[in-house]
Amino acid sequence: MIDKPVVVEKLSKIYPVRQRKGLFRSQKDFVQALKDISLDVEQGEIFGLLGPNGAGKTTLIKILTTLILPSSGKVWVNGFEVSKHENDVRASVGCMLMGERGLYWKLTGRENLEYFGALYHLPPASRKKRATQIIERIGLEDIADRTVETYSSGQKMKLAFGKALINDAPLLILDEPTNTLDLPSASELRSIVRQLHEQGKTVIYTTHIMAEAETLCDRVAIIDRGELLAIGTVAELKDSLRWAKVIHVEGVIPAQAVKAVREIAAVKQATRTSQNGATQLTVVSAEGSEILAELIQVLTHHGASIHKLTPQEPTLEDVFITKTGRTLAEDTRVR
Amino acid sequence: MKYSWKSYLSVVLASARMRFLTILRYPGQLVLDTFIPIVFAAMPILLGRANGGTNAAAAFQRNTGTPQYVAYLLIGSSVFTIVSLAFWHMAYWLRWEQEAGTLETLYLVPVHRIWIAAGTAVYSCARSLFSSLTAYFLGALILGFNPWQGELLLAFVFLLVGMVPLYGVTLLYGALILKVKEANALVGLMQWGVSFLMGVFFPITVFPPFLKFIALLFPPTWMTNGVRSAILGVGYFFGKWYLDLAVLWGFLLLAPLFGYWVFNMVEVQVRRNEGMGQF
Repeated sequence: MIDKPVVVEKLSKIYPVRQRKGLFRSQKDFVQALKDISLDVEQGEIFGLLGPNGAGKTTLIKILTTLILPSSGKVWVNGFEVSKHENDVRASVGCMLMGERGLYWKLTGRENLEYFGALYHLPPASRKKRATQIIERIGLEDIADRTVETYSSGQKMKLAFGKALINDAPLLILDEPTNTLDLPSASELRSIVRQLHEQGKTVIYTTHIMAEAETLCDRVAIIDRGELLAIGTVAELKDSLRWAKVIHVEGVIPAQAVKAVREIAAVKQATRTSQNGATQLTVVSAEGSEILAELIQVLTHHGASIHKLTPQEPTLEDVFITKTGRTLAEDTRVR
Repeated sequence: MKYSWKSYLSVVLASARMRFLTILRYPGQLVLDTFIPIVFAAMPILLGRANGGTNAAAAFQRNTGTPQYVAYLLIGSSVFTIVSLAFWHMAYWLRWEQEAGTLETLYLVPVHRIWIAAGTAVYSCARSLFSSLTAYFLGALILGFNPWQGELLLAFVFLLVGMVPLYGVTLLYGALILKVKEANALVGLMQWGVSFLMGVFFPITVFPPFLKFIALLFPPTWMTNGVRSAILGVGYFFGKWYLDLAVLWGFLLLAPLFGYWVFNMVEVQVRRNEGMGQF
């Protein structure tokens, strides 16, 4: 008897893809999107799936929601095996995938919710009532009777989130729900997720935003290139770097400088990334400020120009960088 | 989890309602649907009048069994409207959902797609019957013949019985579109092939034997001839109306099951490979 909302055992997914070789030629190839993933989600927790774009989060979510079939391994959702009891899985899960693309733009927000209510077998009277409740909860009362095509991107995302609530399922699966939302709307949506969590719902929440996972999730699984790199509470994951001190260096940092930093004895890892036009070097070392002088000297000696240097406690992003050598902002889609 | 038949019926009606709500936001399309069969039939009718002159009706009767070539052609194009809209609505429904991104959403709900497709078929039947019947009566008024002749009720039975296997065949087409992710060219090509095979403007007795055999495997051929025979008395393929109708009933039982089976197979294959999200 499976008593956890989600149990995943040795799950793998291999996609056939076509490599285009010019106008008319193509070659069949295979991409392994998930490699032997095993994890489970506890009752009533917010479980974060954290990873960069292309890590395999959405593939995992699509298997959990029966959209695609696994190549191998087994998955149970709310006690039902996904490949054998599809409709039971679907009835017991509220999903927000594809964001605003999962809506009918020529229907109004209310008509969308009522239609999906019908598809979840809600009787006509209940689906109207439920649609009204959701509209109030997500704050779309003023525009509920306008066609979705007239909504802003953020309003569409809110409605897509509302659609996931229509069947009042015990398990919510939300795939990057704050994408395209402005900061206040994203914060509002996270607050609704917290309220639903307090009401006892289990939530699986995928994101590539580290701060979001850190503030919202009880436990987090870090996925990269189809592999499960780490799983645990935010504190546990950070604790895995308790031996380490992290120093962030911003500025102009040439490759030879990074190479030289890696040769410092106390440095366990040095990863150079670019974000918003700025280059950043994340140095993980067993020592903290003790190596600052040597670090500055090595960097400047190898042509680096330092704009900012900050020693700090490890974050989830640092855990990710330590394990992968890359930041969460990078697209690691398997090519 | 088991749901009642009432619940599934509610899904079918909700799916049909959703399609109606959508098309009502493009009202011009509904009006245009009514004129298309009249314009489609007007071309060969005018060609017949121009070339056949006073002997047109007599020459037409020799080959078809009725001198009423205007009614014959309009009936052909009205039935063709039903067939064509069935393919467009079903095939384009899938493609439209695929491109809009809502197809994946339909795979997240605890309802087999066949029920949602049934809702789309109900919508399509209502819309195409309305267009086709309006075109027939309006066309009769414009082109000058009596639309109330013959056995209209029997003609309507041929239409209704023929529509079920027709939608079964459209499921096959839907499966093809799910796989190749292309609708326009496929439906366009099908339209011309179907209009040719079902004898939209001529009796299929003029076909060579092999082509005639192929045409008889296709339910719309029996629909068209059934309606023409009931209204104009051109003659049933098996001589009696109930024998032709029995063949349509045979199609009615087999075509939807076959369409469902193929659709399911393709669906599993797509979900095993790229998933429904790719378009």
